[in-house]
Amino acid sequence: MSSAKSPALTSTDQDALQSAVIEVCENAYFVFVETCDAPQFATLVEQVRAEGGRGPSGRWLHASVAFNGHSTGQVEVVLPERLGTWLVVSLLGLPADTTLQDNQLLDGVGEFANMVCGAWLSKANETASFTLEMPKVTRLPAGWAPDPTPTGDEQAYRTVVVNEMPLEVRAR
Amino acid sequence: MQTNSSGGAAMTPLNVLIVDDSATMRALLYRVVGLADLPIGAIYQAPNGAEALKVLETHSIQAVFTDVNMPVMNGMELLREMARRDEWQNILRIIISTDGSRLRREEARELQVSLYVEKPFRPEVVRDVLCQIASVDVH
Repeated sequence: MSSAKSPALTSTDQDALQSAVIEVCENAYFVFVETCDAPQFATLVEQVRAEGGRGPSGRWLHASVAFNGHSTGQVEVVLPERLGTWLVVSLLGLPADTTLQDNQLLDGVGEFANMVCGAWLSKANETASFTLEMPKVTRLPAGWAPDPTPTGDEQAYRTVVVNEMPLEVRAR
Repeated sequence: MQTNSSGGAAMTPLNVLIVDDSATMRALLYRVVGLADLPIGAIYQAPNGAEALKVLETHSIQAVFTDVNMPVMNGMELLREMARRDEWQNILRIIISTDGSRLRREEARELQVSLYVEKPFRPEVVRDVLCQIASVDVH
């Protein structure tokens, strides 16, 4: 991690990002994370599309958290709305069939991204202090689905499976 | 610091203030504080340090849980304001933050923070430590 960003994905940053997702999911949400490759991820994306149909559960959420300090950049998380709902319900100990209000869902997913970003920064540089901007969460257009390939400008990129649903995380 | 030799049996209910810009985190901490085996009085919430100061001015608070990175007034600015006021010296100060850097922790120690919890955290960690420090710090 540095202010002058390298286009190459280093294994250290990659591992730190994956560890951050695992730590957040296991400690705050009590759920295990599995790594997955591009073909597995594409299969899970297709499942989301098939299960969601045209309804809201087939939509995807994009959460980003910008950081400043020793270095600047942002961490982005992309996940199905159904997984976002599950994470928030799980964190707050609500009944599984709880219907969240939109602001609850977006705030909760933003907090998830906030924790992943903070955990990644702490792992990547234990001594440096940083400031996180407020998370920005948007609902992506109907029919949109992630293409599980790094765009080339990331410092770190990972696709994982959380509660049998796909999640993509990248740091720029 | 005063020790409560009664082990908390005759403890006055704790009024708690939770300061975080995320409503989700406030809701989580509200639940965690409620799980603690302590007599809890009122639980107040504020989305930033400036709003927290208003609560402190108008209510008797025994414990403050605060995030660090918040808009308007961040957690460190809140703690610095609290340090200036004699009547707030006995309030338990607990930071819950994604920023677990050494620099921030040292800054927190200088501001009389009893506990620094890094997010993500297991709820029982906060609950257990709150019970522990409240039994010796609050009278």
